[in-house]
Formats: sequence, structure tokens, C-alpha cells
Amino acid sequence: MTAENTSGAAPVTAEDIEQALLGFLTEKIKSPVAADQDLFASGLVSSMFAMQLVVHLETEYGIAIIGPELKLDNFRTVQAMTSLVMRLRNGSPLPADA
Amino acid sequence: MPEPRVRLDGERALAAELIGDDAGSWDLARRLPIEVLRKLSARGMLCAEVPARFGGLGAGSLESGELTAHVGSLCSSLRSIMTSQGMAAWAIQRLGDQEQRGRYLAELTSGALAAVAFSEPGAGSDLSAVQTQIVRSGDLVVISGEKMWVTGARYADLLVILGRLGSGGAAVVVPASAPGVEIEPITDPLGCRAAGHAGVRLDEVRLPVSSVLGGGGQALPLIFTTALSYGRLSVAWGCTGIIRACLRAAAEHAKSRQQSGQPLSQHQLVSRHLAELLVADQVSTRVCEHASRCWDSSAQDLAVAAVLAKHVSAGQAARSASAAVQVLASAGVRDGHVVARAYRDAKLMEIIEGSNEICQLILAERALAGSA
Repeated sequence: MTAENTSGAAPVTAEDIEQALLGFLTEKIKSPVAADQDLFASGLVSSMFAMQLVVHLETEYGIAIIGPELKLDNFRTVQAMTSLVMRLRNGSPLPADA
Repeated sequence: MPEPRVRLDGERALAAELIGDDAGSWDLARRLPIEVLRKLSARGMLCAEVPARFGGLGAGSLESGELTAHVGSLCSSLRSIMTSQGMAAWAIQRLGDQEQRGRYLAELTSGALAAVAFSEPGAGSDLSAVQTQIVRSGDLVVISGEKMWVTGARYADLLVILGRLGSGGAAVVVPASAPGVEIEPITDPLGCRAAGHAGVRLDEVRLPVSSVLGGGGQALPLIFTTALSYGRLSVAWGCTGIIRACLRAAAEHAKSRQQSGQPLSQHQLVSRHLAELLVADQVSTRVCEHASRCWDSSAQDLAVAAVLAKHVSAGQAARSASAAVQVLASAGVRDGHVVARAYRDAKLMEIIEGSNEICQLILAERALAGSA
């Protein structure tokens, strides 16, 4: 399970990422999701799905979410996931050992 | 879809050579020779998916899975050690920082042994009941708790302990030799009798903060699902190995044993068992291959695919072992015999890393999510 860098085709602005994530979640959860909605508190997300989210973000945006980044707060809302993606994309490039 | 790069033929041969005909006597003695475990660790075989840059074999999930099945067909206790060490390595790779990955993965591929401690007296699959506490105290962390059924703990140098840290979770790497660690072997498990199951008690174990993977604070369910997904896939391949051993033993016996003037294989009620064993091998292999391809391609569904593979393979292994004992009859009903071991080991596989029922709950959830 490795993150592949597919960022070439992926959206780049925070707004794009947020929209794409809202679309992804609405499709998967099959109910409308708001950008600031707490996905865990509302019971919409199980640990199985949280893992799916991690894999989705990694492959879609060419990032590696490892170590301390696997905090629940980073996945709690679409907004939180968007800033996580932006931060990891803009920060250091994909670590060699991701 | 990446195809297998390394076939691991040398590793398969080494496993066969080191195990030889000894799996039965290890089962009876309830003990694996530590020097065999150290040799396999040093070859990188106990966690074959560790990337080469960390000293590992760099195997993909498919080829690692076939190696796991190979070892599982010879000795499920030893295969259980591969599952534990592989889970430990994966947790370290996923949760650890650069320095921790470099340090611990080098150890796990050069002779050291690791176990993963999740279950507690009051918490199996119910994570909300986890009580082990990891508390920061200056440059140290203090760990207290009790873990149950830790596979391989009897042999382990390092224990990856899951616990609570603040409002989140953490996995901490604890040397088995650290003061305050007490390991109590379980001497009478139903199956995988030589796998070194033990209870682990942690009484205010003090370690440097650098032992906490990635600094801790990760989501408990994410740590759990991450490590367990590796474990489930490994168990699934191990079950495929059990089935292959049963198929081999039953077919050989049915060909050679005469009953009423003809080989057993000519008796239709026996040959039906053989057909079902063949089907089980195919079904189990295919579902494991599917999950491994999901893993290797980072498919979003990989966690559920691992649950499916584990559930299908464990059930097929339990039925196959029962059928193989039936075919071998009196030839296979003594402890230590390959089908007798399979019978006990496979039942355990319907319980660990998510029981049949827990797997079914997860699969049912997926079924509901799939219907609009």
C-alpha cells in the first residue's frame, strides 16, 4: 500500500479539493455532507471508512498521511481534510519512504 | 496493477528447510525453536513487505501472501509469528516517524522478533473499552495496562502496545526486557500451540518519548484498522496454506489407502471431500489474491477486501480441516499430525483478527452502504 503521486490530474486549489471531497463523501455515504460537519460525531464514518478516506486522500492527491498526521482531527470534517491535503501538498515533497 | 517482482523462491526453500518435518513436534512441545525464528527474521522473511531501503525484502502483498501460505501449509504457529511481526512492521512503517522507521524496521529484518498487543481482558473488538494508558511525563512516557492473547509475545524482543494517550490513541514500542513488563505464556491454547501466545502486564513501564510511534495522538480506530488490515490479510493467506496442506494430505491418503479392495479415492463419498478441498483452495486463493491486489494498488476498498479474504479463508480452512480429518480418519487424529493441527489451528482462525461474527458485521455494513 503505497501512495502514488497522481497530483498531475488532481485539483489544486483548496476550493477544488473541498468540492471534490464533498462529492466523494456524498456518493460514498449516500447522504448530503456539509463542509464543516463533524463526520465522526454524526456517526457517518466508521473506522473502516476512515481508512478508506486515508487511502483516497493519499492516492488522489499524491500525499502520504503517516505518523502523527493520522489524528482523527485531520479527518473530522471536509474542511479539516482539505487543509491537511493543502498542507501536505505545499509542505515538503512526498517523503522518499512514504 | 503491479505484478510480483520478487518470487521469494529462496525464502520458500529456506522455510521448508528450517521447518523440515518438525512442525508436529513443535506443536506437541508447544514451542518454536528461537534460532529458527531469528534466522527467518534476519532473512527479512517474518515481515517480507518491509521496503528494501529499510533492510526488508520489499515484497508486494501478493508474493508476501504466497510466502505466508507456503509457511502456513507447513506450520501455522510459525505463520502466526509472521503475521505478528508483519503487523508490527506495518504499524511502525505507517505510524512511526523517519527515525523510528529506520531504527525499528532494521531490527525487525535482522534477527529481532516483535509482537503486537491489542486485546485486553475487557476489550477485544470494542475499542472504546481499551484501558491501557500511555502518559507523558517530561521526556518519558509511563505505560500501564494489561494485554491478552498476544501472539508471539513469549519470543518477542519488542512489543507494539496499543493504548490511550490523552484524548487519542498511540502505539508504543516496548522492549520486552523493560522493567515493569511481565509476560505470562498461555500454555494450553486450542490451536497454533507453538505460536507463543501470552498475556502481557505493563506496570508503570517508563520509556523515552521516542518510543511512541509518530509521537502518538493518532485515532485509536485508525491505528487498529491499519494494523489489523495487514493482520487479516496475513491470516487469510495463512488459512489458504492450511487448506493446501489439507488437500495434499487428503489426496495422498485417498490414493494410497485401500478400503474394501480399492483405493479410498474410488469411494464416491470420499472423492466428494477431495472435490470440496480443491474448491476451497481455489476460492480461498482467489479471494486472497483479490485483497492483495487491492492492497498493492491502494484500492479504497482494501480494508473491507482484507476482512472478506479473512472471513472466507478462515471458514474454508475450518471446513477443509474437518473434511481432511474425516478422510484420514484414524491416520490423522493424533495431536501433531498435519490434519489434526489444521483442525485446531483453523478453528482459532475463525476467532482471531475479527471473529466470523465481527467480519460479518463489517461485511453487512458494506452491503447496506452499497444499496442506495
